[in-house]
Amino acid sequence: MLYAVAVFAPLLGSVVAGFFGKAIGDRAAQAVTILCMLLASACGVASFVSLVYQGGTPGVVDLGTWVDAGSFHVSWALRYDTLSAVMVAMVTCVATLIHIYSVGYMSHDNSIARFFSYLSLFTFAMLMLVTADNLLQLFFGWEGVGLASYLLIGFWYEKPSACAAAMKAFIVNRIGDLGFAVGIALVFFTFGSIQFGDIFAAIGQHSADTYHVLGGTWPAFEVIGVLLFIGAMGKSAQLGLHVWLPDAMEGPTPVSALIHAATMVTAGVFLMARMSPLLDHAPGALAFVAVVGGSTALFAATIGCVQNDIKRVIAYSTCSQLGYMFVAAGVGAYQASIFHLLTHAFFKALLFMGAGSVIHAMSDEQDIRKMGGIWKKIPLTYTVMWIGSLALGGVYPFAGYFSKDAILEAAWASDSASGHYGFWCGLIAAFLTAFYSWRLLILTFHGKPRADHHTMEHVHESPAVMTVPLILLAIGAVVLGFLFRDQLLGEHWQAFWGQSIQIAADNHVLHAMEEVPGWVALAPSVLGFAGIALAYFMYMAVPSLPGQLASAFAPVYRFLLNKWYFDELYDAVLVRPLMALSRLLWQVGDATLIDGIPNGMASLTSDSSAQVVKVQTGSIANYAFAMLIGVVALISVFLIFR
Amino acid sequence: MGGAAMTWMSLNWTLALPEIVLSCCGMAILILGVVSRGNFFRLGCMLTVGAFLLTAMLVLSGANGVGYSGLFVTDAYSVFVKLLVLAAATLGVVMSLDYNEHENLRRFEFPVLMLFSTVGMMLMASATSLMTMYMGVELMSLSIYVLAAFARDELRSSEAGLKYFVLGSLASGLLLYGVSLIYGFTGSMDFALLAKALSDPASASPGLVVGIVFVLSGLALKVSAVPFHMWTPDVYEGAPTPVTAFMASAPKVAAMALLVRLMASPFGHLLAQWQQLIVLMSIASMLLGSLAAIGQRNFKRLMAYSSIGHMGYALIGLAAGTQAGVRGVLIYLVTYVFMNIGTFALIIAMRRRGRAVEGITDLAGLGRTDPAMALGLAVFMFSMAGIPPFSGFWGKYFIFTAAVQQGMWALAVIGVLTSVIGAFYYIRIIKVMYFDAPDEAFDVRPASLSFVAGVGGLFTTLFFLYPAPVVAAAEAAAKVLFG
Amino acid sequence: MTITDIMGEGTDMLAVGLGHYLAVSAILLVLGIFGIFLNRKNVIVILMSIELMLLAVNLNLVAFSSALDDLTGQVMAMFVLTVAAAEAAIGLAIVVIYFRNRGSIEVEDVNLMKG
Repeated sequence: MLYAVAVFAPLLGSVVAGFFGKAIGDRAAQAVTILCMLLASACGVASFVSLVYQGGTPGVVDLGTWVDAGSFHVSWALRYDTLSAVMVAMVTCVATLIHIYSVGYMSHDNSIARFFSYLSLFTFAMLMLVTADNLLQLFFGWEGVGLASYLLIGFWYEKPSACAAAMKAFIVNRIGDLGFAVGIALVFFTFGSIQFGDIFAAIGQHSADTYHVLGGTWPAFEVIGVLLFIGAMGKSAQLGLHVWLPDAMEGPTPVSALIHAATMVTAGVFLMARMSPLLDHAPGALAFVAVVGGSTALFAATIGCVQNDIKRVIAYSTCSQLGYMFVAAGVGAYQASIFHLLTHAFFKALLFMGAGSVIHAMSDEQDIRKMGGIWKKIPLTYTVMWIGSLALGGVYPFAGYFSKDAILEAAWASDSASGHYGFWCGLIAAFLTAFYSWRLLILTFHGKPRADHHTMEHVHESPAVMTVPLILLAIGAVVLGFLFRDQLLGEHWQAFWGQSIQIAADNHVLHAMEEVPGWVALAPSVLGFAGIALAYFMYMAVPSLPGQLASAFAPVYRFLLNKWYFDELYDAVLVRPLMALSRLLWQVGDATLIDGIPNGMASLTSDSSAQVVKVQTGSIANYAFAMLIGVVALISVFLIFR
Repeated sequence: MGGAAMTWMSLNWTLALPEIVLSCCGMAILILGVVSRGNFFRLGCMLTVGAFLLTAMLVLSGANGVGYSGLFVTDAYSVFVKLLVLAAATLGVVMSLDYNEHENLRRFEFPVLMLFSTVGMMLMASATSLMTMYMGVELMSLSIYVLAAFARDELRSSEAGLKYFVLGSLASGLLLYGVSLIYGFTGSMDFALLAKALSDPASASPGLVVGIVFVLSGLALKVSAVPFHMWTPDVYEGAPTPVTAFMASAPKVAAMALLVRLMASPFGHLLAQWQQLIVLMSIASMLLGSLAAIGQRNFKRLMAYSSIGHMGYALIGLAAGTQAGVRGVLIYLVTYVFMNIGTFALIIAMRRRGRAVEGITDLAGLGRTDPAMALGLAVFMFSMAGIPPFSGFWGKYFIFTAAVQQGMWALAVIGVLTSVIGAFYYIRIIKVMYFDAPDEAFDVRPASLSFVAGVGGLFTTLFFLYPAPVVAAAEAAAKVLFG
Repeated sequence: MTITDIMGEGTDMLAVGLGHYLAVSAILLVLGIFGIFLNRKNVIVILMSIELMLLAVNLNLVAFSSALDDLTGQVMAMFVLTVAAAEAAIGLAIVVIYFRNRGSIEVEDVNLMKG
């Protein structure tokens, strides 16, 4: 019951704020949504605690029949197990803090009720996603978060760039969703059900199934795994489908914190963990996951090093961290990926909201080249940004240290080529992560002020309604790691996870990662400190160095600054040919088919040309003639082929 | 044979009570309109809506059975279709309220004609004899001919009426000729007796086959399936918009339902023979509907091609020739009616400085000038393109799965491909609304249109939450034909 | 009585059988259809063509009815006559308003909307 309340309270808040926002006013709309969120987070945490620590029984909260069509039966139900409960608790807590933070951040906006309604709607959709008991409901939540994020990214719809970013996010996600939808269809085709319980129970029977298409034989689980992962790639902005995430920073900052750090983008990781019983029997798909994850971690980190927009740096860092999570999933350490998901939710939301606080202080300036020297004026924001960066950089004892190390150890311990690839990518990315985090910190807060005099005068600490959530998140970013490390990943991980994560009998990654060589455990920290040192050296000690480097290695710098030219590549390879194709279709459809066929016929049969052209030009006689031809053709077909 | 039939079946006239009541209401409104002083249009519309609601209640509460010596049947199938037709007609009348005031068409005959056309459609839904079928089709069509030409001072409207009349009459001629052949070569017009006579597919003579094709052609014109679609764009463009909205929804439902019943029950045993005709028409309709729409500039014309395409999808379900297929057709029709009516309500709302506009470019920047209307249109366009979670997706889903179950992969694949092409022009409208420089804002939207668009929009967006009742009703209805 | 029997009677050289009626009615129908789309001049001719088609149908119905010794066909023919009358009335009315707006009822002029 508490569980259902946790899921549906945000919906209530959203509906009230959305439909009655004008009637009850902004204040009331804020109050209602935040109260609903507080209720939801209380219930969410309570149900998590009662399940994991008080011996509650996992189960399914049935809400009613959804689709009942022949053999295709789906009902609305909430799945109540550790994986869902942990996600519900995390999502509700972080979302509540973001709601509160938004009160301050959005105080100057015109449509506050609408904003809060969207935020709550998003939270609800995310909760539906993580509590889904079947793939269709998960897909519903999946589309729901997509829609809500579309609305939120395009919240400032007067800004053309925001509209374009929203559209881009929507379209790129569609590509992933297509893979996901086909994957769901194949699951139904293979298992005859899309209820998780039924699927997982039947894993053994179907593990040798194959599909015969395109002249080849494909193992069923591998195909399904890859398709589901393509869906995850879209949502979680993995290499290839990552292009929407940085642009999505056009949305208000709390949105970035909620959607692009804590919740939605991690949906793909959640999907991997949820489908772990199936994926664990698809080694090929897992290797693919690990390789893509590792590549993304490294690739996004390189771009993060040269970006100048404070939110974009953090966005690329999100992309990179998601890569880590997929590496963990790809080597079978789903627990580690969820662990990193949890810690990341806190410290990344913290970083985003800290950045929001900076932007607020700097009169909406987002370019870190125009900041600097403000740390004394906003000490609290400065402190929480430090905490967030320490956690992100993986410095002991902050949360990120535990989860990132666990992932890298697991990748090494997996002892597979893809795992080792993920490990090395992750290791280099750890160095880059530390580098760009401190680059951000130093450029933003230290050095000489580079903003104009007028802006500098206005720099001020944010109001309490914004700083209190920051402090709470900062506490999470500090303590979550060592609180949960042993419970989630230790020898007794099964006591915590219960049946929610089932791995194959031969999967011993969690055990093996405890016994990796010492240097593997040490390397990330060492490289992290090296990154910090390099950033200090380049931006504090010798501030002229970055400029010299950039001009010395201009091609590399431009390559990174332009995000490996991914947007340009897509533009050239996909967008432009598609536009050309649609133009062609247009011309074929408009000019050729409608004008051209009559014309072509006219030139063919020059004598009766006038008559034939008229067939196409709206005259009754020609329409009647077409009908007669139709009748004759149909009769012929009928008589010939019967 | 005929004489014997009279004795073994009672008249059972109460089965047709909804139709009788509705006809009486129609005549009463007509009389009231003639005798009343002052303008009776608004009141007439209200009374018509009332009559529709009353009839819907009668339909819901009526008993099932066969009446009029086997000419008329009330079963789950006919109830399903009638309710859908009544819903579409009701919304159609509501939509016309404001438009007709503006365009100086406030004449009380308008709702009455819609009412009689609806009676015809209900008759089509209940027809179990070629005779009832013909009477229903004619009652529906004759009323719509007049409605299409209702703006009698406007050239475009009268041309639309003329075109529809000529081609429609040609189609009824073909239909009738087919009826006469079927009658001649089987000796009966009754669906049940026909089914018995044709239980052996080998017994189908060439004359009968020709007859079936003629009947099929006549009905294909009413559902505007290629190659009998030629009238559709012209008539949709020329007719007054509420009439177009009405024509694009209720008659399509009734004609498609009749076609399905005809093909599935009396000619059900000949499935293997007519199947490929339906497949051909379906593919041609989907292709033409999606390709021809791309170059359109007039929204109503675009909707005409779009409806041709939609009928192509619905025909896939019929081509499957199974209970699941018919269920798919019915669900598709439900989703189609609501998104179609909703779209047309918003097209009617396109009015600038008192003048109706219908170009697609007139929508430029609607996302900024009227976000609510733009959102509504976006929902309908996404739904028509078949993007989940909107109802249009589910309609296609049920249709395609039925086709795939029958191993008709090619049909399903073509369907998916054309819906991708179709998505192009639907999404173009969204692009125009949200990314083009805003044009002057539209006039204030009357409440009646907001109501209709709201009903359509809510149904379209929320269908996926609880589709169970519709699916169950369609299942029960389809079972009647195959049970 | 089977279909082939009926057709057999009609093919007899001297008696006027069902086959002859069917042939005439088919010719009438084809004339009607051709009248609709070969005619380039006058909408009224189209109305007449439609009537011709309906007459063809009626002939068919009555002939079948008589041959099958079944009344249904004749009842149907009565309905068709009635509907044909209504259809003609409506058709003429539409032609009249079209003429008022356009000033012409030439078939070739009916092409304001196309594409």
